[in-house]
Amino acid sequence: MKRKYVELLFFFAILFSGCDTVIHPTLQPADPVYVVDAFISDKPETQVIRLMLSQPYLEAQLPPGVSGATVSVSDNEGNTFSFAENANEAGVYSWVQSGSGFGKVGNVYTLSVNVNGESFIAQSKMGRVPKVDSITFQHTDRNDGNPDFYRGQFWATDPKGPGDTYWIKTYKNGILLNKPSEINLAYDAAFSKGSNFDGYTFIQPIRNGINPDDTDANNQPLSAYSPGDSVYVEIHALTEATFDYLAQVAIQTNRPGGFSELFARPLANVPTNVFNQNAKGAKVQGFFNVGSVSGLGKKFKI
Amino acid sequence: MSRNLYLLSILYFLTHFAANAQAKHTLNGYIRDKANGEALIGATIFIRELKTGTVTNVYGFYSITVPAGTYSLEFSYLGYTTVNQVVDLTGSIRLDIELSPSAQELQEVVVTDEAEERKAINKEMSTNKLDIGTIKKIPAFLGEVDVIKSLQMLPGVSTVGEGASGFNVRGGSVGQNLVLLDEAPVYNASHLLGFFSVFNPDAVKDVKLYKGAIPPRYGGRISSILDVRMKEGNSKKWEVSGGVGTIFSRVAVEGPLIKDKASFIIAARRSYIDVLARPFVKALQNGAGLNFYDLTVKSNYNISQRDHVYLSGFFGRDNFLFDRDQGFSWGNATGTLRWNHIFNKRLFANFTGVYSNYDYHLKFGKNTSDQFSWNSSISNYIFKPELTYFIDSKNELSFGAEAIYYTFVPANAVSVSNGESRDISLDKKYNFESALYAGNSQRIGKVLTLDYGLRFSNFNYFGPGSSYSYNDTIPGIRKSVSGEKSYTKGESIATYHNWEPRASFKVQVTPNSSIKGSYNRMAQYLHLISNTTASNPLDVWTPSTNNIRPEIGNQFTLGYFRSLGKETEYEVSIEGYYRRTQNQIDYVDGADLLLNKYLEGDLLSGMGRAYGVELYAQKKTGRLNGWVSYTLGHTELKVNGINRNNWYSTRYDQRHNLKVAAFYDINKRWSASANFIFVSGTPTTFPTSRYVVQGILIPYNANESRNNVRLPSYNRLDLSMRLEGKRVKRGKERKNHDYWVFSVYNVYARKNPFSVYFAQSTTRTPAGQPIPSQASQLSIIGSLVPAISYNFKF
Repeated sequence: MKRKYVELLFFFAILFSGCDTVIHPTLQPADPVYVVDAFISDKPETQVIRLMLSQPYLEAQLPPGVSGATVSVSDNEGNTFSFAENANEAGVYSWVQSGSGFGKVGNVYTLSVNVNGESFIAQSKMGRVPKVDSITFQHTDRNDGNPDFYRGQFWATDPKGPGDTYWIKTYKNGILLNKPSEINLAYDAAFSKGSNFDGYTFIQPIRNGINPDDTDANNQPLSAYSPGDSVYVEIHALTEATFDYLAQVAIQTNRPGGFSELFARPLANVPTNVFNQNAKGAKVQGFFNVGSVSGLGKKFKI
Repeated sequence: MSRNLYLLSILYFLTHFAANAQAKHTLNGYIRDKANGEALIGATIFIRELKTGTVTNVYGFYSITVPAGTYSLEFSYLGYTTVNQVVDLTGSIRLDIELSPSAQELQEVVVTDEAEERKAINKEMSTNKLDIGTIKKIPAFLGEVDVIKSLQMLPGVSTVGEGASGFNVRGGSVGQNLVLLDEAPVYNASHLLGFFSVFNPDAVKDVKLYKGAIPPRYGGRISSILDVRMKEGNSKKWEVSGGVGTIFSRVAVEGPLIKDKASFIIAARRSYIDVLARPFVKALQNGAGLNFYDLTVKSNYNISQRDHVYLSGFFGRDNFLFDRDQGFSWGNATGTLRWNHIFNKRLFANFTGVYSNYDYHLKFGKNTSDQFSWNSSISNYIFKPELTYFIDSKNELSFGAEAIYYTFVPANAVSVSNGESRDISLDKKYNFESALYAGNSQRIGKVLTLDYGLRFSNFNYFGPGSSYSYNDTIPGIRKSVSGEKSYTKGESIATYHNWEPRASFKVQVTPNSSIKGSYNRMAQYLHLISNTTASNPLDVWTPSTNNIRPEIGNQFTLGYFRSLGKETEYEVSIEGYYRRTQNQIDYVDGADLLLNKYLEGDLLSGMGRAYGVELYAQKKTGRLNGWVSYTLGHTELKVNGINRNNWYSTRYDQRHNLKVAAFYDINKRWSASANFIFVSGTPTTFPTSRYVVQGILIPYNANESRNNVRLPSYNRLDLSMRLEGKRVKRGKERKNHDYWVFSVYNVYARKNPFSVYFAQSTTRTPAGQPIPSQASQLSIIGSLVPAISYNFKF
């Protein structure tokens, strides 16, 4: 719905040409803060937690990793999972799966990170996900009559019981769609808690949210999928706090410019659920989420 | 205690003057335009012998009571030929006067020794009046004459940028202005986001903006009152006017229904870019649409010497459709019925009934199994009786009441997914707002004029409905619901009331200079919920509830006003204001404002302060005329949970705001207009840092500050030339009067900044590579915009 609204704004561009120019402002200096990127799932693969530092905004470097931390996740059943730092990647801590995947739906997990005398903790409850029933492709009429324009759609139904939240991640030909405009979130089967849409098939804009947001040199949308492309759709369970977090991340990072700027919200820091046990200690940002995952892949054939 | 004293003193004045009003006679009547019968608002009646007088009210009515005697009267109005008349006042007289528009404009003869008293008659301060003639001269964006854009040329009025709807007055937000069209509130006064306003210049008679010293008859918003009055329609002869512009085509028809008794006007506008583009854009042939239109109608009937009724209406709509089934639309509809009744020569009454509605509709989904439709509205009925008692030549007492019944429909929404449909509507909200007020305008001696009054307002939010209570939390974070209580029909959920004193004074220091000051307190029970840079058509109005308290504004002003020049053709003024507000609304980060039952949990409340100095110099007559306006201002909010609980500048805080409007008559057929605007950069928030979570680049402000940086300044020059059509053709005078307007907006094509935003690059970053980040500056209008329009009248 919101995306449609933005599309509509581009419609205005027929009338008026807004104009975006890249500028190079001087930003206020700031000390780096710790950043924890801890999204853990029951996907049967190695689970990774990253500990990094923030950088000046306009510095396009890989984020500096923080080495030497003790990273572990424990659950409410008394189990502790240790994450060991990778030998060749500073700040990357992994737990290698043995047997089944990580965690159990309904359990509460606590992340603990100890580094340079600081002690960070965070909590998350592992949520459930529905299975992805199917993936379909449709030929789409575009106004300019491009005959080879296809869009994909996944089909799944939110389980009964309000408050399930999801992040639908899509891989096209093995590459994760990771643009801010491609963040596809669901609260039950719709966009928000207020929509009150529990237990239904995911609404159409979410089902359609598996299409890459790619354009050609003239800024015209490209066909999302072509015959021969493969698509893999994953539904990741989020906690409600993580859903709110990612919803805000989408607001703060998806800035297409142009007329949508008229309705942009003020820049604000997104929340964090990672806290320093010493309130006066070093600042920390980032998020910890444990969730189950379901997935389905399909190759597009006509 | 002090309030009671205040009421007592009003009572005292009432009885005091009533007792002293004997052996006097009253002159009363209407002052109208001789050419078309339109009532003249604010025309002056001056009695030479007594060096006193009065002005007509918004219906063109005046009444003045003076001792018996023979008087020479002078009826005048700027741009009209003054009428002098001698009357022998042995009894009360009804005297309706018609003034002719002066051919040679503004050649007002001013008798210097009387200037003092003449000026003393008009004592309003902190108000700006724009006559439609001036509005039509200001160079306009795409050549479309626009009431609200013209207001932005006045001191103390600003906007967040091009394309933004509404306006900001003295540091108030867009939703703190009450916009009235023939007394009916207009909840969204914009077409096409904010590029154009809904007022059709062909149907507008008078535009008045109250920035301070707001009379007690107005209430309900804390920043300003924009009072737009429609034309009544020519009661003498038929007239058709219109124009063909770049965006709109307009036509207005007016004429007498019964000569000098009843008349009407119908004015319509429609944008036609979609009509023109249809052959070229396939989407438009498939049902896509982009258009807006409005219809303004008014009729009036002068039933008798004592009774006059007016019926007016406005209907406007914007449509944006992707195809036949999808898109959205919004619009206002208002209707006003007014009855002026002269009870007796000194008691004038007006009864107004108003209906006003704003609604929007959205619909997405091409097939019936996957759809989303939503509509939302605010509608109200208003009844407003007001009486004006013209006590004597020195006192004019007004008192009245206002009752408003509101129905809010936040969301009537149905969502269908894969054939299963669900009603996700939110509860309607019902409210009743009422007010009682009284105010007196009093002249004391030759020097001092006082206006004082009191408004008592009351607000009731009642059932059927539910109230929610919320848990306290760290400010700035969404509050969770702790309880819900349901109420039956008519049961009060929350009530508020406020005493709103209003007072202003004017001291006529010399014939040509005066000092004016004012204080007013205003209460606002409706809130425009908007957390985006510019307000948008989907923004919802929400009433005060048990959780949302009424906004309160207090404002003090003090100013010095002076006329200069041989014919007092120059007017200069300096006016300062200081404004404090309470219960201003702000939003938690990530607030969900639409379709949210628990909206109140996402709202924050804080206080505001705004102060500034406005300088204004105007040359009113001559071949070259116009004005220079400069405002030095500051406006801030302090909200717990934002900016580390410290004061921060609002998005529309502009330190310097300079505007120049100049009009020059080159010869009989050509005239030129120019305006220039310089505004210092508005505040915005820049990040300091970045970090990556889950492959997404997130901006971070390590100081947690809001609006920590200023955008570059804004400046723009617009020019327009007007060519009058030939008045004489083949030796005969043409019946048809027409003119062309050629305009250029943003003459030197400056790319003025609207905003600066930060984002990762739009290309897909491969895993393991650093994500490029960049800052971009947006200009809404990045080039010069020429336009031509043709206007006619016959």
